[in-house]
Amino acid sequence: MNVPAIEITELSKFYGKVRGIENLSLEIGEGEIFGFIGPNGAGKSTTIRLLLNLIFPTRGSARIFGMDFIRDTKKIKSLTGYVPSDANAYPDMTVLEFLTYCSRFYGMLNGEARIGELSGLFDLDLKRKISGLSMGNRKKVSIVQSLLHNPKLLIVDEPTTGLDPLMQENFFELLRSENRRGMTVLFSSHVLSEVQMLCKRVAIIKEGRIVRIEDIETLRKRQLKKIQASFEGPVTPKDLDMEGISEVKAGAGSSLSFIWSGDINTLTAFLASRKMLNLTIEEPSLEEIFMHYYRQ
Amino acid sequence: MNLFLKEMKRNAASLLIWMLLITLLISVTMSFYGTFLENQSKILAMMSIIPKGALQFKGISNFEDLMSVLGFYSANNVIYMMLLGSIYAIVLSSGILLKEEYGKTAEFLLTWPLTRREVFISKLAAVAVNILLLNLVTALAGLVSMEIVKKEQFSEHAFLVLSVYTLLLNFLFCAIGIFLSAFVKRPKPVTTFSIGLVLIFYFVFTLSKITEGASLLGYLSPFKFADVNAINPSYHLDALNLIYFGGFSVLLTGLAYRLYIRKDIYT
Repeated sequence: MNVPAIEITELSKFYGKVRGIENLSLEIGEGEIFGFIGPNGAGKSTTIRLLLNLIFPTRGSARIFGMDFIRDTKKIKSLTGYVPSDANAYPDMTVLEFLTYCSRFYGMLNGEARIGELSGLFDLDLKRKISGLSMGNRKKVSIVQSLLHNPKLLIVDEPTTGLDPLMQENFFELLRSENRRGMTVLFSSHVLSEVQMLCKRVAIIKEGRIVRIEDIETLRKRQLKKIQASFEGPVTPKDLDMEGISEVKAGAGSSLSFIWSGDINTLTAFLASRKMLNLTIEEPSLEEIFMHYYRQ
Repeated sequence: MNLFLKEMKRNAASLLIWMLLITLLISVTMSFYGTFLENQSKILAMMSIIPKGALQFKGISNFEDLMSVLGFYSANNVIYMMLLGSIYAIVLSSGILLKEEYGKTAEFLLTWPLTRREVFISKLAAVAVNILLLNLVTALAGLVSMEIVKKEQFSEHAFLVLSVYTLLLNFLFCAIGIFLSAFVKRPKPVTTFSIGLVLIFYFVFTLSKITEGASLLGYLSPFKFADVNAINPSYHLDALNLIYFGGFSVLLTGLAYRLYIRKDIYT
């Protein structure tokens, strides 16, 4: 039986009385590209920082490739790459010096070829000083250092901030290609379209707790419908106070749009009691699906 | 070794500047020794109006002590090597761990295959070697200066003891600095606070020396335990002083280690 790449069990982190994450449990299989979505402050970065021992848990445990995340941290880190959301490389170094310095921690004595290969993909000038790099170029350095040692697990936290669309696509293509070679990816983002493009499964995190873990496709195919209805006579969102209806928004005139979750017949029976001018039923976007779960 | 070498390289320019500064101060000061001797009667007459205690904190019990090359050197050594060396030690050590946090480089360093223990030891070793090099070079500058300007022989043993006290004092401030670096939770530099701490300790020590009835106050300051009375014939490394420096240095470094290996790192 395959050992999960990441197995988190009831992990909690409190900053004094302030909750970071609480009783978070999660399992990510080896070879998965797993999305971790939620808005800023939901606990994504806290979870990642716990896994990497940048911070320590209040309680709970985690295993990475079957190893204890605290006791075996050195071994785990030798198999893991990390793209932080916000970090600076040493400003007094050139890009090449920084990447060479990094590669030596992984025991790579001749990392030049790999450095050249990865920096070529991102059009990165190795001779430039880190202090003179733009935000986007710093992000590229961050990405390259995370992949130098061909990690078995890559953890990325908001990786595309600062990258232009072309470089984002290069990055996603690189992730797909490394994934085909067996690399597991934990992809944390608040941008759903990125998650949708890359990930097979996704965990939605809200206020430090996982509210749902779902296949992206299943999430899309759930009985969630986006309804737009125009009524004869005035209506307000309060008129649609019924279990299964959420995200109600008033539109032009006497029209309302909302997300319906449940049996469509129940909804049509409910709507039939009102005189309608028009009714549109659509598939909701992933963004709307996410907000539906998030507001629950 | 990778991290140790990186730290050595990173701090090389600063070490060089401090070495040059202290060496220059010692050399210039010692160059006045000849003039000082030539005008000793005038200087002694002038100094006789200064309260005796005012110079006691420099290890001088009689103004005549300044006439010996070792007495002259040790009186100035207090300022140049002990005070400035301690400021160097605490500034370097208080930033050594913390700068990775406020510089946001910890997100890389601490996620590479290194244990916190390895990070702590490599950085501590780099700081210790820097302080050792500073002490070696400045002590050598002092020795050479004394050899050039001396009019009579001086005790090399006393010079060695004085140099060891200077080193121990610098190491103690290094331990205080590394403790601060591990203890502080907010990723902000503590340089100003660190320098202030050295100056406060020095002020307390000075106050205890020049104020009647305040001698006990001196025990609050590490400077009290670095005996600079080098021209005292029985000048030696006192066991209690060694225990004080060794004990506090080990204790603070040990506490810093315990704090750092489980420290939550925020950038």
